[in-house]
Amino acid sequence: MLRYALRRCPSALLVLVVASVVVFTVPRLAEGDAADVLAGPDATATTREAVRHDLGLDRSPVVQYVLWARGLLTGDLGTSYILKRPAAEAIGTALGQTITLTVAALLLAMALGGAAGIALGVVRRRSATRVVGGLVSVAFALPPYVSGVLLVLLFAVSIKLLPAVGYVPLHEDPDIAVQYLIMPALCLSLPFAAVLARFLAASVRQVMDEDFVRTGVAKGLSSRRLVFAHVVPNALPPVLTILGIQVGQLLGGAIVVEAIFGWHGIGDLLVNSVLTRDYVLVQDLLLFTVVVFVVVQTLTDLAHAAVDPRVRLEA
Amino acid sequence: MPQHLFPRPFGRRAALAVVGVVTAGALAVTGCESAVNSSEQPSGDKKGGSLTIVQSADIDPATFLAQNNPNFSVIRNVFNTLTAYDHDTLQPQPELATSWEQSSDGRSITLQLRDDVTFHSGRPFTAADVIFTIKALQREDVISQLKHVALAITGMEAHGSHSVTLRLNHPVSNLFDLFEMTPIVDRQTFDDLLAGRQIIGTGPFEVVQYTPGSGVKMTSNDDYWVKGRPYLDAVNISVQSQSQSMLSSLQSGQSQLALDLAPLDTVALEGDPNFQVVESEASDAAYYVGSNVTIPPLDDPVARQGIAWAIDRDRILDQALGGIGETSSLPWAPSTSPAFDAEKAQTYSQDLGKARQLIQQAGATGAKVNVAFNSGFPTNQAIAEIVQFNLKEAGLKATLVPLQEADFLAKLGTGDLPGLFVNVHGFGQLSPATLVKGAFPFNADANASNFDSDQYRRIADQLWTTTGEAQAETTYDQVNDFLLEQQFISDLVVSTHTFTISTSLKGVDYNMYDYLNLDNAYLSE
Repeated sequence: MLRYALRRCPSALLVLVVASVVVFTVPRLAEGDAADVLAGPDATATTREAVRHDLGLDRSPVVQYVLWARGLLTGDLGTSYILKRPAAEAIGTALGQTITLTVAALLLAMALGGAAGIALGVVRRRSATRVVGGLVSVAFALPPYVSGVLLVLLFAVSIKLLPAVGYVPLHEDPDIAVQYLIMPALCLSLPFAAVLARFLAASVRQVMDEDFVRTGVAKGLSSRRLVFAHVVPNALPPVLTILGIQVGQLLGGAIVVEAIFGWHGIGDLLVNSVLTRDYVLVQDLLLFTVVVFVVVQTLTDLAHAAVDPRVRLEA
Repeated sequence: MPQHLFPRPFGRRAALAVVGVVTAGALAVTGCESAVNSSEQPSGDKKGGSLTIVQSADIDPATFLAQNNPNFSVIRNVFNTLTAYDHDTLQPQPELATSWEQSSDGRSITLQLRDDVTFHSGRPFTAADVIFTIKALQREDVISQLKHVALAITGMEAHGSHSVTLRLNHPVSNLFDLFEMTPIVDRQTFDDLLAGRQIIGTGPFEVVQYTPGSGVKMTSNDDYWVKGRPYLDAVNISVQSQSQSMLSSLQSGQSQLALDLAPLDTVALEGDPNFQVVESEASDAAYYVGSNVTIPPLDDPVARQGIAWAIDRDRILDQALGGIGETSSLPWAPSTSPAFDAEKAQTYSQDLGKARQLIQQAGATGAKVNVAFNSGFPTNQAIAEIVQFNLKEAGLKATLVPLQEADFLAKLGTGDLPGLFVNVHGFGQLSPATLVKGAFPFNADANASNFDSDQYRRIADQLWTTTGEAQAETTYDQVNDFLLEQQFISDLVVSTHTFTISTSLKGVDYNMYDYLNLDNAYLSE
């Protein structure tokens, strides 16, 4: 197993090296650089060049690449040209916001989608299923950029219960932070919850056709015990697969939600860095994405090898 | 159906439990300290309270010595300038400089400075700080549109701690523009300022936290030299890139002041008694169409005049700018610039017949013309679309070329924009020299249009070095006639920066470069 793992390392490293060259080169193909943005529209050519020199952008691309790569190897991600702060710090702050939002939305979606899915799968009263089904359809049909605006109009502008925009870290002031979190998390979670509810409802209905459920009823188990101890656990596996696929989409949706609610997460950071040609941040963020992908991919391969000896032998 | 085997899986009790959980959650939220009202604490008297400002872009400490819109909220509140123009008389008034005396030949000025001012670090403000700030402006890597004035200062002498003489190599007409626009920086922390690490000034508020990309937190400066000021305990600046988010923040009561809300969002607040939209008298946001005069048919002034006649300025004012500003063919601010001429400002208005005739005369009918714009600004895009439509009406084949900000600025700086370009310029509000020497689109020495003319250079230098009023009047006529004829920049609408203010916030002021001044601001019930 160790030998297999060691054999996987060189290809992973090669991917990272190639990726570092690509993420360094591609942003530079677009015209304009950070010096143009920093110098502004009224700067003279001399000032523009002086700013470019200060940023080190007048050095050859090879030197710039070597300096960046050397920094990465020593744990220094560089300093943002535009934000004038360490890239690691900027990425860390933004990542904190994105993770907070995504995790909160995930939990909320699981709670809402889980409850709705079980209700749709189990409850037999038609009026109740119609109401829940209708709510699920609405949640499914509402993209975050619509539900976000509606939530803001209702809860922030009309009844002034929750803040319209902004972010407070949970560790700084939990009471306030939760209020800032409710609407963005709800907005992001709704379509996800709707998908979850539909899959769970279908899965629950399928499980309820099973003989062991009938046996449970015949044995006189309470409905609640039957549902939560027997039906739901057996209905979950296919839903978990969907959950895994949807998490990636949740991260994508977070970019839109962050923009609506004025959060400065990873999406906001990446978009601004690209627009302002903040190469250091663009390179770091793109490479970070590649690293995550390579690590996950490598771990998946290792997991496959661990459970299936044929993979190890073939390799 | 197996479901029928279930008697009542979830009865009333379960439904009540769900309602109970939701109610408990709602009560928990309403029972907590409110995030909506935590920023505003109105009190009976003026003292106290925390103000939240929203703006669309982040501040940039490296450009505090230049006029850079996102910095408007911070500069005058953390720093002070030497003088400040009176809005009515446009005469400079004392700020850090208490009085001044200019030599009769206009080649030197001696400033007396306040002796009761300290920086936020506790260090006293002296003449050395004034000298340091002007020297900083002269540095190549420091950005300022008034660098040409700083470079004209060839000698500086301190007389004791609170008096300084500046010597110039020739008289200049915009010296007080320099004093109005330039904050006096702390020489001991200037490098930290450029890097955004430490922001130390002499102003009414101290920066306690600056999070790049996110916002600024400031608290009142207890040792501020204006006694009894500021009233506010704290000011928070929040960066919200979406104008709609800024509007929501205002409407929800989360913030009390928005800088430069998108014009069409400002219209949404019309008639709302809870808000007031203050349009700055500075009128230094003039929207224009520039021409790269090296690209045919824009190399012919007759074709450029045809384009100027083709554009529907009224439509741009109404539909793209929400009626904020006034149509004008000149770059000057109507209410404050000495060069503004009301009659000449209306030289060009849409006349498609005249436009087609001039374009035909230039042999440009059917010619292809690119209209470039910065795609990051929806207002510029809206104007570009109207311009494109008008040019098609006038017989040109116009194509829109949206460019990302960095690309647009790079091409603007190198004169490589591919034809016409829609943009906005400032510096039309005070001394006309500041526009023709400092605003890049009009810079007579090098500009975005590649417009090169000895006559224009002469007029620009004359504007800069003429200090006598009678002589200046003649030069204003010359520059107006020249700009109207050449049309390498066709001004469309002279608009302005706006401050959208909640009625609970009083006493908001700004200087003639639109730097927000919160010395006298307070929150009321």
